Amino acid sequence: MKSGQKSKAVNNSARGMIALVLVSVLSVGLIIRLFGIQIVNGDEYSAKVESQQLSDTEISAGRGTIYDANMNVLAQSASVWLVYINPSKINSIEDETRRETVREIVVSGLAAILDMDEDTIRGYTEKNYSYQLVKSAIEKDTRDSILAFIDEYASREGDDQVDLSSIVCIDPDTKRYYPYSTLASTVIGFTGTDGNGLAGLEYYYDDILTGVSGRTITAKDGTMSVMPNQYETIYEAENGTSLVLTLDIYIQHILEDVLSEALEDTGAENVYGIVMDVDTGAILGMVSLPDYDLNDPFTIYSEQLQEAYAEALEDTELDDDDETKTKSYYQNLQWSNRAVVNTYEPGSVFKVITASAAIEEGVADLNTQYYCSGVIEYATRSIHCWKSGGHGSETFVDLLKNSCNPFAVTLASYLGTDVYYDYFEAFGFTEKTGVDLPGDFTPTAGVLYMSRDDFSYSDLASYSFGQSFQVSPLQMITAISAVANGGYLMTPYIVSKLVDDDGNTVSETEPTVRRQVISESTASIIRECMEEVVSSGTGKNAYVAGYHVAGKTGTSEKLTEGDEEVYIASFCGFAPADDPEISIIIIVDEPEGEHGGGAVAAPLAGEIFEQVLEYLGVERSYSDSELELLVDSAPSLVGLTVSEARTEVSDSDITLRVIGDGDTVVAQCPEAGREIPSDGIVVVYTESDYTSQEVTVPDFTGYTVSEANKLALSSGLNIRISGSSANSGTVYAYKQSIDAGTTVEMGEIITVYFKTTVDVSD
Amino acid sequence: MEKRENEKSSLIKQLWRRYTVSGSIDIWFLIIILALLCIGLVMLFSASYPYAMTYYSDSTYFIRRQLLFAGIGLACMILFSKIRPEVWQKLSFIVMGITVFCLLIVFVLPQYKAGFYRWINLGFTTFQPSEIAKFAVIVMGAFFYSKYALHMSSSRPASAGIAGKINKKLGIMLETWILTGIFGGIFILFAIIALAESYISGAILILALGVVVMVLSRVRPQWFIIRESWVPTWLFGGFFILCAVLVFAENHLSGAILIFAIGAVMMFLGGVRPRWFIVVGSAGIVLVALLCIYIMETRDSDSVNILQTYMRERIVAWLDKDYDPTGARWQTNQALYAIGSGGLFGKGLGNSTQKYMYVSEPQNDMIFSIVCEELGFVGASIVIILFALLVYRGVVIGMNSKTRFGCLLAMGLVFQVGLQVILNIAVATDSMPNTGISLPFFSYGGTSLVMLMSEMGIVLSVSREGRLSKH
Repeated sequence: MKSGQKSKAVNNSARGMIALVLVSVLSVGLIIRLFGIQIVNGDEYSAKVESQQLSDTEISAGRGTIYDANMNVLAQSASVWLVYINPSKINSIEDETRRETVREIVVSGLAAILDMDEDTIRGYTEKNYSYQLVKSAIEKDTRDSILAFIDEYASREGDDQVDLSSIVCIDPDTKRYYPYSTLASTVIGFTGTDGNGLAGLEYYYDDILTGVSGRTITAKDGTMSVMPNQYETIYEAENGTSLVLTLDIYIQHILEDVLSEALEDTGAENVYGIVMDVDTGAILGMVSLPDYDLNDPFTIYSEQLQEAYAEALEDTELDDDDETKTKSYYQNLQWSNRAVVNTYEPGSVFKVITASAAIEEGVADLNTQYYCSGVIEYATRSIHCWKSGGHGSETFVDLLKNSCNPFAVTLASYLGTDVYYDYFEAFGFTEKTGVDLPGDFTPTAGVLYMSRDDFSYSDLASYSFGQSFQVSPLQMITAISAVANGGYLMTPYIVSKLVDDDGNTVSETEPTVRRQVISESTASIIRECMEEVVSSGTGKNAYVAGYHVAGKTGTSEKLTEGDEEVYIASFCGFAPADDPEISIIIIVDEPEGEHGGGAVAAPLAGEIFEQVLEYLGVERSYSDSELELLVDSAPSLVGLTVSEARTEVSDSDITLRVIGDGDTVVAQCPEAGREIPSDGIVVVYTESDYTSQEVTVPDFTGYTVSEANKLALSSGLNIRISGSSANSGTVYAYKQSIDAGTTVEMGEIITVYFKTTVDVSD
Repeated sequence: MEKRENEKSSLIKQLWRRYTVSGSIDIWFLIIILALLCIGLVMLFSASYPYAMTYYSDSTYFIRRQLLFAGIGLACMILFSKIRPEVWQKLSFIVMGITVFCLLIVFVLPQYKAGFYRWINLGFTTFQPSEIAKFAVIVMGAFFYSKYALHMSSSRPASAGIAGKINKKLGIMLETWILTGIFGGIFILFAIIALAESYISGAILILALGVVVMVLSRVRPQWFIIRESWVPTWLFGGFFILCAVLVFAENHLSGAILIFAIGAVMMFLGGVRPRWFIVVGSAGIVLVALLCIYIMETRDSDSVNILQTYMRERIVAWLDKDYDPTGARWQTNQALYAIGSGGLFGKGLGNSTQKYMYVSEPQNDMIFSIVCEELGFVGASIVIILFALLVYRGVVIGMNSKTRFGCLLAMGLVFQVGLQVILNIAVATDSMPNTGISLPFFSYGGTSLVMLMSEMGIVLSVSREGRLSKH
């Protein structure tokens, strides 16, 4: 029996071996299969693992700051945060009551902190994603509230404890702030939601401002949470470079204040202007109105455009598409930096170029005589002067002073087309200015001006007084600045230097001379002529006592489709004439009523010149005639006895008004050192418990200088005279610094602006 | 008094001597088991901690339990290695009875998991009766094929026992055409039922089948006579197919497949002629292939009732590699990613990234993918080779057993392990449809680890009384 079993066992062994061989064969098969997966196709699977696990998050680089010339912040990126939730973390909670409890905690908590609708957030939590943005651009305090909210639930005991940290998450984000809102908005421009510059400097310098964004490579697990431990790699972001502008917010303020008032007063479509440093071509101020709020660029900002936009929407039945188009049309209007982008017919301002060419080429000098009969026959055309009847006998100075068209045509005809065209080119009217702003006007021959080959005698005549071609305001002011600085055509620029994150200067803009277009002596002659324009010619409304403003007015008719005659009034000039510092161009586009450059644009230039030069600390140098109206500083009278005070002012024309019965002066108005007219008034108080005497400001509008002086004296006020101060019957006050009817302290100084309406219609 | 005490102690001694075995164990087999157990525990900890951390907020949740059960398992292994293998021969019918009882009782017990009957909840742990069933099938196989060893090579008609009686009756029935009548009657009855259900093609098929059977039975009546060599297979086959059917009814397909496969292995080891395996095996392959084709063809139809929906979906997911990547194929794809990204030497122990909630439940059936990812092709191959060595050593132990029962028992137990390993890795490497077969020594599961270690103890007990053993 036993041996039998043994023999069977042997038989059995064979079967065991066969089965073992089978198992071995299958094992080898599996190893081969593993070889196929791990070695042959390993890379493919590794790539798949990587693509499903590695999440690549961008670390946005801090965008560079934009500073004005004095390091005031014009545009800055602030750190903000965004909140997102991971709804799948809620929905994967197995226990239903627990799941709904957590959901409600998240919904009610976030709704309260973020001031959002509960149902909206509940909707988010029901999604089956692992990333749902709840709110972006939240401030630090909101972020802190959310972190506190998460901590609070994490620190609770037992069942009340909820780990919200994987459900509610916060990521850094950035937001662009513009502290001055509308100031220089058309120059600075704005960024889109993705942080890319869309307009202005933000657009032009986008690459420099943007910097290099970094990356965080994180491994995420199957539930999209960050995998613990070492799988995170961070490539730091390089913050963007900051811009320091030549633009000065103070000058910009002056420019904007004056021009926005003008926009309202003149009823013009647009008003724009530039203030430039004549020696370097640096732009100190640049305004285009109407403009917009940089912090809310997509909303139509100005009332003027809002009305037009509302009308456009009402006007016709529009579908959604048209509405979008209409809105974007008006948005583009307010974003447009017309001082750079727009073109206009320069009109008489261009006579400066004609005059410069004539002097430089020697076809005229200061003694050149001309007789203007009011019309000239040239190139088979009759060309009329703006003054019907003509200016009569003139010398070279009168060319600009009277803005005489036939004289300009005559001088141009002496030069001939080729030579004249040389100057047209030399002054930069056929090329881009090279400014570092978007939309620098690209002149195209044959479209907005004649090419040299097609430049006819008829064109020559028109060009000589600035008609039948277009230039941009920036081209014009750059050319006039060349006259001011002794003949050097500069490349205008607005960014003075680039500064890195740590405040180190990366690069600085060197002023670039494009070429010398006229000689120093020619420039000096033209400057004199231009000062004459302001002191006694069409530009007299730009006059500022002591500052020797030089300039030229211009008026041109705009081509329109309708019969309506619309004009562009402009003024371009510089000051002080003997040693120019700054140049200004002012363009009033389609003013209502008066439209002469001398009447509309020149007074604005005068106001700006006065304030800017004062701000820059340029000393006034008065002429004899100006000394008569000279301003004086108020003497220091406090502490003196009344009789001493009387003695103190006895040498001057100052009127002293004593209030009270005391012996000693305890207070005075205006305070010592403030500028008052030499025949002004000083009010002194002699009793310690005095009450300020108050007076009502009278309306000076329409008064001549002497009438205004009398009125001021009788009201117990001082006036400062601004603008055209020739004490003639044709100069009238048109504006005052403190509105009529306002109650002010006796002795207060009020600036009254004067202008003339005679002989300024060009 | 003293004598009685002596008698008493000598009885215990006698029992001890009778039911235990004293020879030395096979040291190589023990080393292989301990090596696999250690690697398995380390890998279980590595694979399970992210999952444990996420769902139980305790990274040691699984390993602590598994270590406890490993300790119990080791104790059981030592205990069972002392028990004489013949004890199991004697207990075989009790084991069979308990198994059938457990397999039946799950149908009336409350369901541990909705829709599944496969667990019995003991309060402190749960266990699957199918685990016992696998063991029972091995014991019963060893029992029948050792008891009827001499029958296996005989082709005489069985003359003894129930088989002999059946043969006798069969002979009379064949002579009197009664058998043909009964068969014919049954087929006609089925055909009528089919017709009543207006299932005409079915009725025709049944009738055709009936005719074929009757013609065959008339021409070769001896086909129905039970030969002596068939006796153990009929008895054993009846048992393990019953077990497989019950487990399948418990909605546990993988368990049923394993039991069926183990049964087949025992039949092969027991001496059933190879031609049966070739015939049934080829038929099975053709049938499975046809089934797969049919399921793929009807994948979009709702009216197909063959197999459960989840089983059909797994077959579709296996054959169509682009099917439902976030659903049915998610687990397989993630396992493949894990295996593939391991490369030659792996990412290093503990460095798997796929275990972070990509491979679902990485501590269970898909643990091998994490082994591949962390230890690479080299490490994974070593693990496979270790398992192959375990089977080899088990076969050697069986071959050197002094009894046929011991031989069959040891071989059956190691081939069960081998079978499970092959099926598990085949699933992980997408070489067959996804079924829930765990990897011995690696996958998390307390009772199955204790069971496995006990079974390995039994193999060791066989080695003690074998010819290699030093007494």
